[in-house]
Amino acid sequence: MRTYILKRLLQIIPTVLGITFVVFVMMRSIPGDPVVSLLGDAYTEENAIKARVDYGLDKPVMVQYVIWLGKLVQGDWGTSILSGRPVLKDVMVRLPVTLELIALSMAVALAIAIPAAIIGALRQNTWADYTATSVAMVGVSIPEFFLGVLLLLIFSVGLGGWLPSSGWVYLPGTCQTVVCAASLWGNTQHVLMPALALGVGRAALLTRLLRASMLEVIRTEYVTTARAKGLSERPVIFKHALKNALIPTITVMGLQVGFLIGGAIVVETLFAMPGLGTFGIDAIIARDYQQVQGFALVTAFAFVVINLIVDLTYTFLDPRIRYS
Amino acid sequence: MADDREPRAGHPRPISGGSIQEADLSAAPDVAWRAADHSESPFVQGLRRLRKSTTALIGAGIVAVLLMVALFADVLAPQSPIASDQTHTFERPSRDYPLGTDQLGRDMLSRIIHGSRISLAVGVSSVLLALFVGVPFGMIAGYYGGRVDSIIMRAMDLILAFPIYLLAIILMVIFAPTAGLIGTIKVTGAIAIVRIPIYARLVRGSVLSIKEKEYIEACRAVGVRNPRILLRHILPNCLAPIIVTTTLGIATSIIVEATLSFLGLGTQPPTPSWGWDLKANVAFIQSNHWISLFPGIAIFVTVLGFNLFGDGLRDALDPRLK
Repeated sequence: MRTYILKRLLQIIPTVLGITFVVFVMMRSIPGDPVVSLLGDAYTEENAIKARVDYGLDKPVMVQYVIWLGKLVQGDWGTSILSGRPVLKDVMVRLPVTLELIALSMAVALAIAIPAAIIGALRQNTWADYTATSVAMVGVSIPEFFLGVLLLLIFSVGLGGWLPSSGWVYLPGTCQTVVCAASLWGNTQHVLMPALALGVGRAALLTRLLRASMLEVIRTEYVTTARAKGLSERPVIFKHALKNALIPTITVMGLQVGFLIGGAIVVETLFAMPGLGTFGIDAIIARDYQQVQGFALVTAFAFVVINLIVDLTYTFLDPRIRYS
Repeated sequence: MADDREPRAGHPRPISGGSIQEADLSAAPDVAWRAADHSESPFVQGLRRLRKSTTALIGAGIVAVLLMVALFADVLAPQSPIASDQTHTFERPSRDYPLGTDQLGRDMLSRIIHGSRISLAVGVSSVLLALFVGVPFGMIAGYYGGRVDSIIMRAMDLILAFPIYLLAIILMVIFAPTAGLIGTIKVTGAIAIVRIPIYARLVRGSVLSIKEKEYIEACRAVGVRNPRILLRHILPNCLAPIIVTTTLGIATSIIVEATLSFLGLGTQPPTPSWGWDLKANVAFIQSNHWISLFPGIAIFVTVLGFNLFGDGLRDALDPRLK
């Protein structure tokens, strides 16, 4: 097991290198560079050449990538050409916001999906099942940003500003800058709508998957055996059926990370949250090379690590699965 | 003959006094009848099941209506989707403007009717483009194996290793979003590139199992050439999952297109696009509540239509995927 984890951890390196390299090359293939926006009105050919030399943008792309990697190994994520701030610092300020959003939205997803799927599967073809599957179908078809708009209309506009429509209040202890608002209540108010907007779609998807695999599992012989030996319904469902039904669901959850990152970008944009998603999209549009690299690095890393965690969860859910 | 096909409730079959052969003979018409029923191709059987699925029919109905709206947008739209009228900005829904007007005084109903073109065009064509590139890649990789397989699948893995939106966003920045047909083609291309590996993987998996079947071996034994085996004998057997993935994929592509537009990276204005309209109108949501609703509802109904249809299609064509 330990060797397996070590092997998988080592595999992270080429994947992350691959993604960051492709992003590096792609960003530099976009016509125009950040020097143009940096110099603004002061743009002259002479100044631009000087600025490019200063920031090392005159070197071949491969050389630039190796320089970036070399600095990265030493803990230097580079400095944004446009804002002049260290990228690592910006990432660390914004990461907690996005992590909180994603964690809460996954919690929302599981809190809705597990009961809905169990009820749907146990009472197949009853009104409860039809309700669960129909609501799930609606949930799968509604884009995050439209759900966000509906929530805004209900909670910010309709109910006279119950919940704030934009901005952010940090969880106490997560604020990394000198001045920022931090309170538990304020944070809850700000994160509720974004987490729902991002979580409900996932909940719908998980409900559909989990219901289908629950239906398969509860017809297996070991569930019949568990019932026959006199176990009450609760342990049969939770210990025997759900655990096995979760395996395919967890796989899909891992594959959903890519969509979750996209969803975070959209939801953060809609609710004007200072998270990594808005950081990334702003950086890409402004062609802030260093910031984009920082964003790609974190995203790639998260993507690979979450898929590793997914694989490791299998051994917990099904002890027959052993990695060596 | 017709009597033979009827269930024989009124004529109970003799259960004693006859030989086993007689019993077999008396059962023969039934057997022949069932065999005739099963001689239908799985595809025809699937279509028969599809016709009985209410959800699939509702989905197909929604999709058909949307296609009509997109095709006849010029006739159906009461006004021009891009003509602004500064004297009628933010009109509430009324008889003149059934869905109101936006901040430039443009008729929302006309924008939504014309916006269906972008959503459907990008949704359908990006998936078809991905299909036409991804399916051959998957078939070649699965059938020939070896180095060809490794090269193709590593390239696909590289694309798959990217979080889908990160790649689509960067591709759109590289392509530089524009308005009109060119803008639509750019978005289609970006979404198609992201979706190619899905088909390649799906088809490769199917081909790997099909190529070991005896009838493929038989084809080789009688000297059928590889391209013909791939096209005539393997491809038709991979079709069910391809069709299902395509229908459901259109729904996803429409969401991705709307998301890109929402982020300002889709087809640019003045071309009407639901995602862009939703984004532009969110800024005015506090004072004009209805304005963001309609583009959002349009996206939702379209995606729902394809999802319902795709779900029904999956259940009908390949119950194993259920």
